Amino acid sequence: MTLATSAWLVLACPLVGMLSIALLGKKLSPRLAGTIGTLAIALAFAFAVVTLIKLQQLPSNARLETTSLWDLANVGGVKIEVGLYIDPLSTFMILIVTGVSTLIHLYSAGYMQTDKGYVRYFAYLNFFVFSMLLLVLAGNLILLIVGWAFVGAASYMLVSYWYRRETATAAGIKAFVINVIGDIGLVLGTLFLFRTMGVLDYGQLFSNIHVAFDKDAPELVAAMLLILVGAFAKSAQIPFHTWLPDAMEGPTPVSSLIHAATMVTAGVYLIGRLHPLFEWAPTAAAVGAIIGAITLLVAGSIGLVMTDLKRVIAYSTMSQIGYMIMGVSAAAYVGGFFHLMSHAFFKALLFMAAGSIISAMGGNQSLNNMKGFRKAMPFTFACFLAGGFALSAFPLFSGFFSKDTLLYEVGARGGWYWALYVAGYVGAAFTVFYTWRMIFRAFWGQPCKEAVVVMETGDAYHPAQHTNPHTGNEDDPSTQEVEDPEVGFPGHEHRYAEKTWQMRYAMIPLAILAVFAGVIQLPFGITNVISDFLHPTFADSTVAYMPEDSGLEAFGLILSSVIAIVSLIAAYWIWVRRPGSSAAIQARLPWIHKLFVNKWYFDELNHAVIIAPMAAVGRFAKNTFERIVIDGAMVGGATGIVRAGSSVVRSGQSGYMRAYASLIVLGLIGVALYFLIESA
Amino acid sequence: MIAAAATSIKAPYIDWAAFSPIVALICGAVIVLLIGLLPGRRVREQIVPGATVLTLLATLGLTIWQWGENTSIISGALAVDRLSLVLNVVFVATGLVTVVMSLRERATVQAGQGEYYTLLLASLAGMAVLVAAQNLVTLFVGIELLSIPLYVLCASELQREKSLEAGLKYLVIGSVGSATLLFGLSFIYGATGSTDFSGIAAALSSKGETIASNPLMLTGLGMAVVGLGFKAAIAPFHQWTPDVYEGAPSPITSFMSVATKAAAFGIFLRFMDVAVIDEALTWQPLLAALAAITIVVGNVGALAQTSVKRILAWSSVAQGGYLLVGIVVSSAAGLEATLYYLVVYVVMNLAAFSVVVARERETTHGDSLSAFAGLGSKRPILAVPMTIAMLSLAGIPATAGFIGKLNLIGASVDGDYAWLGVLIAIGSAISLAYYLRIVAVMWMPDRRGDSPETDRPHGQPEIIGLAIICSAATIFFGIIPSPIYDLVRGAGESIGLL
Repeated sequence: MTLATSAWLVLACPLVGMLSIALLGKKLSPRLAGTIGTLAIALAFAFAVVTLIKLQQLPSNARLETTSLWDLANVGGVKIEVGLYIDPLSTFMILIVTGVSTLIHLYSAGYMQTDKGYVRYFAYLNFFVFSMLLLVLAGNLILLIVGWAFVGAASYMLVSYWYRRETATAAGIKAFVINVIGDIGLVLGTLFLFRTMGVLDYGQLFSNIHVAFDKDAPELVAAMLLILVGAFAKSAQIPFHTWLPDAMEGPTPVSSLIHAATMVTAGVYLIGRLHPLFEWAPTAAAVGAIIGAITLLVAGSIGLVMTDLKRVIAYSTMSQIGYMIMGVSAAAYVGGFFHLMSHAFFKALLFMAAGSIISAMGGNQSLNNMKGFRKAMPFTFACFLAGGFALSAFPLFSGFFSKDTLLYEVGARGGWYWALYVAGYVGAAFTVFYTWRMIFRAFWGQPCKEAVVVMETGDAYHPAQHTNPHTGNEDDPSTQEVEDPEVGFPGHEHRYAEKTWQMRYAMIPLAILAVFAGVIQLPFGITNVISDFLHPTFADSTVAYMPEDSGLEAFGLILSSVIAIVSLIAAYWIWVRRPGSSAAIQARLPWIHKLFVNKWYFDELNHAVIIAPMAAVGRFAKNTFERIVIDGAMVGGATGIVRAGSSVVRSGQSGYMRAYASLIVLGLIGVALYFLIESA
Repeated sequence: MIAAAATSIKAPYIDWAAFSPIVALICGAVIVLLIGLLPGRRVREQIVPGATVLTLLATLGLTIWQWGENTSIISGALAVDRLSLVLNVVFVATGLVTVVMSLRERATVQAGQGEYYTLLLASLAGMAVLVAAQNLVTLFVGIELLSIPLYVLCASELQREKSLEAGLKYLVIGSVGSATLLFGLSFIYGATGSTDFSGIAAALSSKGETIASNPLMLTGLGMAVVGLGFKAAIAPFHQWTPDVYEGAPSPITSFMSVATKAAAFGIFLRFMDVAVIDEALTWQPLLAALAAITIVVGNVGALAQTSVKRILAWSSVAQGGYLLVGIVVSSAAGLEATLYYLVVYVVMNLAAFSVVVARERETTHGDSLSAFAGLGSKRPILAVPMTIAMLSLAGIPATAGFIGKLNLIGASVDGDYAWLGVLIAIGSAISLAYYLRIVAVMWMPDRRGDSPETDRPHGQPEIIGLAIICSAATIFFGIIPSPIYDLVRGAGESIGLL
């Protein structure tokens, strides 16, 4: 098998899986649909490994292959191929995407077992993975945009998967609309590049960029900023982040998929993929780095006060993606993609563990109600701990090494990048606090009634009636909307990890990776797997790969360890030893709490600046403009003209040969006269 | 005396290999006619169509054998080049489809199988001659050889008045067209002193202004355009189309709508782009105006029709307008775009006509729109190909029609006739009104309940197979267009266009 073949097969597996599940549909037993879906992605992972092996067999200065199936278009000087771009970066991405997705599929097979839409769920899931793989393997910007848009569509379908929940469909629409705004940015940016350069495939873009534009030329900066809008929307960066927490409306494995392996990492990938362009437009790259830094702080601060378990993790994702966006924009490519990898492991794990707890809670997601699950769910607890240690960058866990590599590379650039470096460490403290706040509140203390049920009956707590946790008061199910467990709502039975083997076997490898994955890229050059592997992709970079600065690296490691350990102890005091102290802090600083709880008022800002004016324009357009100008003048006028033309033409169609013949003669006279007059 | 004359005329050298596809068609026609005289039902119903198919396959084989040739044969009367060879493939394919469609057709019985298939082959031979013609005389011979069998074929359903009317109408109006063409050709000969396309082109370029503004030449050119426009159903010379298409037996309608159109455009391309290319600046605006009129008239004419064959007739007029755009720009890109669109037009139109033929035999509603009511739920195997054909004719992405239109619009922009590209888009927008109407009739729940009750779904797997193959090809070439690009590439260069 050649490199190109294996890469195409990576792409083909989820597509075939999706099509077979979708087309066979109701004829499949749910169990079989889950198996097909999982196997399709597992097979894709196997081919990704083959791709990796084949790629590594090439000499290190030639680890790049482009392959094309056919021309999508070849018109007016534009040549767009259905082609792939296989290099270390895209291979790195497909390995993570397929690997983590396989485990998420396996987890879903257990978690969603009693859901009535099980078959549809797996068709969507496979489509999502296919779209993401298309995005990372695409050989030109057009195909990338196709994958980009598919990912947006797939996320819409999955977020509003429980389509009878109005909150879920609203969240799906929000995700879709914001993603489309990003798509527009990406498309416009692509057109900007195309207008000057006339090419769209990566190879030519990278080799011509220095000729086509001056360094930091305004047109190039504009193009790259537009492309950044696309990256921000997909990766939930400020101010395009508001869809991400709402996307928690989807089933928990979907959150895991969106947050860990697919979708939100797309923006990071895009910046990394287009790094020759971003490095040639440093202004745009700086904007990316600054937005990333702001996002990591804002999202971390909101994570401190959220009470919905999944939303805390969602803001944590936003914050961690902020690190990555900041990193890759600041040319910290190794750190950025290292963190992307370790984040994929521990974040998928955290969502899976959270899903397990939520199941045991009978669908209730509020941290205010969770308590003392430590004894009731020891496996889930252990996994959550592994993920928590990694997320909070506790020394020697994977997140510790990846975050420090990232911040070290940012700091090593010196100059104003120091500000980003500091922001990164402030964010690290936030991270530790919100992580351990979750863990201490959910697992420590007197067991809540749901935990008691789990301990006593060995089964999840099943409330008397199913309710939507996103309506009413989140702490009190009796105020929430009542649902039935039919299709379009969550299924009737809740599965948690201790009782479901698929969930357990999905979580175990992730827990191991979350703990140990850091060893492949240790500081001081002890191990260099990732930097060596990615080197061919980023070898052309002029700003990455600074000279070694062991002092800075050591300082970062020590600082990070101190932050992690001190904050952990502080968190232990606040939430375990002195349970009232968080309320006291809240009372002391009410305005800060209010700011954080209201998510820095971004939703309100969006509403006032964008939604309200747009809605006003929309109302005017609907009530006045549409009725008079569009419907009346334009549609009415156009159809009227066409109708009139039609009746004229038909009335000429008399059926008499003499009429037809005379029209031919008349036409002939017209033609002849035209020629004679023209030449006279 | 005769001997003396015979020695004084030097017979031209004939390259039989290059000439072989046409020879095969003519010989096949004779053989099929003779076989048809033999007694026995089996002979008529199986051997005659079988011999026709064999003839077509032989022609196809010979055409492929000659692939890549670029020569003139018989003292320059015929050209064997990419343009004529591609169109030969189109003709043979259409001929095969028509044979399959005709297998259970009443017209073949009424007219006699031998005669019916002979006429079909003769008409195909005329088309092959026509698109290879590079001489005014061969041009006219080709056009008559293609037309006269068609007049008869239109009237071949002897016991149906409409069929006879169609045949007669086509004959009379066709004669007007042919007369005009012949008149024009003789004027051109008179003005340039040559019947060869290359001779005409040489005369035009060497004597320059004096001939270019010569009224004789211009009148002749105008009449030739009208005559060719008639065959290609260009408005305002299109009025016979709906009447004849509606009246003729459906397989013949299908044959005319694709093969005749392809032949007419083939010679149109060659005549305009070889013989009178030096006058391009004079005729371009005229053809552009005709294209515009045709697009508008074809599309608005199709609205509010209730016969599907009539809708397809008007649609073929409109499609002819799109095709004409490729000729207007007189560039290699334009020629290839036209040729490309011809190929996909043939495929998608045949898909539509297969379904029409199938429905005509299944219900008592004939080709009326009501024959299609509720088809989506009752016979999805027919409704899906029809839907694909309609969407492709309308130019919806992921179908071959979309790529075809894209090429034409691209060529029009490159040739400084961007407004024609815009008009193609507007025409497509109008066309949705009638293409989607057919789709809607098939798929919308039938509230009025007038869907055909008297369904007679008797087995006609060959027609259903045709519909599926043609519609699958429509989708295939919409997603992977490169095979057709490879087919038509080089056609422009082969006749000396840039």
